[in-house]
Amino acid sequence: MPGEAHKHEPVVATPEELAALEQLRVYPFLKPLPDNVLKKLQPNLVERTYAPGDVLLRAGEYSDAAFYLKDGVIEIRFASAAQAPVPRAAGSQKAAPTAHRKSAVSADGTIIVADMPVDVSLNKRVLLEPGELFGELNALARYPVSSDVVARTDVVCLAIRTPALRMLFKQKEVADFKKQVDERYRSRTLGSHLRQVELFSGLGDRAIERLRQTADIVSFEPGAVIAEQGTPADAFYLVRGGNVKVSITTGAASLAVTYLRKGEYAGEVSLLMNEPWPFSLQALEYVEIVKIPRAEFDAAVREHPPVETKLWETVVARLKERGAVARNPMVSQYLQMAMDTGLIHGESVLLIDLSTCTRCDDCVRACADTHGGTPRFVREGAKYQYWSIPVACYQCSDPVCMVGCPTGAITRAMGTLEVTIDPETCVGCQVCARNCPWQNIAMVPVAPPTTKFGRPVDKLATKCDLCVGRAAGPACVQMCPQGSAARISFKDLVAVTEKLSA
Amino acid sequence: MKLPPSFRPKRPRWFVATTAIAAGAIVLGAGVRWWRGWSAGDAWGLAFGILAAFLMLLGALYPLRRRLMIAPLRTAQDWLQLHVYGSTLAAVFVLVHMGLRLPGGGFGWWLFGLTLWTTVSGLVGVGLQKWVPSLVAAQLTVEVIYERIPEMLDALRAESAKTMEGASEVLQRFYDAQVQPALAGLSPSWSYVLDARTGRDQRLAPFEHIQSFVGDGDKDRLADLRSIVSEKLEIEAHYSLQRVLRAWPMLHVPPAMLLMAMIVAHIVAVWYF
Repeated sequence: MPGEAHKHEPVVATPEELAALEQLRVYPFLKPLPDNVLKKLQPNLVERTYAPGDVLLRAGEYSDAAFYLKDGVIEIRFASAAQAPVPRAAGSQKAAPTAHRKSAVSADGTIIVADMPVDVSLNKRVLLEPGELFGELNALARYPVSSDVVARTDVVCLAIRTPALRMLFKQKEVADFKKQVDERYRSRTLGSHLRQVELFSGLGDRAIERLRQTADIVSFEPGAVIAEQGTPADAFYLVRGGNVKVSITTGAASLAVTYLRKGEYAGEVSLLMNEPWPFSLQALEYVEIVKIPRAEFDAAVREHPPVETKLWETVVARLKERGAVARNPMVSQYLQMAMDTGLIHGESVLLIDLSTCTRCDDCVRACADTHGGTPRFVREGAKYQYWSIPVACYQCSDPVCMVGCPTGAITRAMGTLEVTIDPETCVGCQVCARNCPWQNIAMVPVAPPTTKFGRPVDKLATKCDLCVGRAAGPACVQMCPQGSAARISFKDLVAVTEKLSA
Repeated sequence: MKLPPSFRPKRPRWFVATTAIAAGAIVLGAGVRWWRGWSAGDAWGLAFGILAAFLMLLGALYPLRRRLMIAPLRTAQDWLQLHVYGSTLAAVFVLVHMGLRLPGGGFGWWLFGLTLWTTVSGLVGVGLQKWVPSLVAAQLTVEVIYERIPEMLDALRAESAKTMEGASEVLQRFYDAQVQPALAGLSPSWSYVLDARTGRDQRLAPFEHIQSFVGDGDKDRLADLRSIVSEKLEIEAHYSLQRVLRAWPMLHVPPAMLLMAMIVAHIVAVWYF
């Protein structure tokens, strides 16, 4: 509940617990917090030590924590643009959001990376010293890490996991902490975020700078109403992180129209037409929003006629979208199902049409044949109408399974869709399997058990890898004799509707 | 009348083309026969015979393709469609090859009979593969993996036994007389092919009759038992229907293999003699 953390009840704690809390108070931003808040934060605050050469974060991986450097020196090594192909999201020509895309390279080789507190350089060594906070953008907005972060000396860091970060942001005693994080986002990242909004692509540097200075950065808890249909539209909303449900109320029914992901926006139509919100916006999970006030938005549109032209095009597209839902409420039903089940996170979800599937299991056999005899999915799982959603990796847009892998065995190569696990470096720790909200990662026994990185390994994590490297694509789809198996991205709502309505 | 989507041809153009070619071949065969008489050994007869043999051979490659996952060779669905349409056309070409007459001699009858049997059993299989999944999707709520059916039944039995812990004597007697036998084993039935919910109301009727005899404390238990038995009936329907889908190839594949062998013998015999 918003504001819940402000109620500071007295805390009952043992002397050991109090001592542990006092240890946390060595961190300046935790010092002012009362014991009960600190106690709630404690499970998500982990002090970690690293030896020289240890990797704290790897480029391309996902992280669920910001890091505060307490002792030691770390180095940031940028993965050069040459090594990183232009990211591409499957099924679309749009590039997938990554920290690389928000990086700008200057003539002298200096690179502004969004998720680090300093500019890095292709030519010089960039070091961070005690007192620096980094990785908060990766944790809050789920962008992949832009650079390798390596310990140069013995290092002590406080990992502040995302729930703790969010809770910290609500504490009035450490209001400066949020302000500091927001300001850093505003100064280092917001400009490039705004430039990535197609609508603003025609704006000059001055206009972008003005929007950047006046924007509000706000957070919403899951289920919170961000804007309500019929109320005055006060701002342009750019989604920085999380998913937002867009719905319209017609009669007594509330119909889901679409959903917004990071980088998408709402409110421009109402502002342009000077009308109240034609739909409601609701946070489906923790959502980070950049709000551009009406006056600033109007000024930008007024001063840049091409922006207004683009806006009108958007108006037409949005009206068509809403009309389509009103004409065919099934679209809304599919959307709602995708939001309820989490399928909206899926970039490539395996669906099986049960009204044509003869249960021959050729899909499972093909999968096993492609993967050395062990299938990477199970032909059972949730059911929606005539569709089965088997237990197979969805290849999520924000793969939380990639958070916290101790050896970096689970990866998604830049510009690709497949999240893969390297069996050579997987140590069977089950972190990825536990992280997957859909239980789509299985642990399979290794015979005979082996030892890796000094630890015994008797199981390995396996998951669907979309038959990476197979020219004809996923074997399950290609080898289905009835054409019942399909892979679909829930980002492509038109394709989803066509597929599920067929 | 509009066919339900799952009954429409997956490749409408292939369907139209195959029908047109088959009709054309029959008209051509009848025309040639009327014009100058027909012999399976003359140019026209041989042409249709060779085409039929080629299509049958192509059709026979489908099961191989299912096992050899050579990536660039299009999808399994393309191969199945080729198998169905190609083999159907082959049967028509065989008829034309025979001059649209009944065969003469024992070997001829065997060839003709096997061609007919293989084609008809194949088309029955196509029908079953369209009918059964749509029936299951429309009438059953539980999805079952065939190999896991015994495991699922064991789980249901264990669940029912657990549900009965602390039950009254009345319910226990009902459990012994009705529920345990219902969960004891599977009774596959052909009637499920027509209606996947066949006999369901009848088999669940005892649960309605006992309602008024059990106390309030057992009502929830009774409802749980009813849903367990209901699930078991769905599993039984799945078992029966999936068994039909699995058993059907036994009617099709061995005769088809025999047919292929006899075609080879037929070709060798014609070539040699």
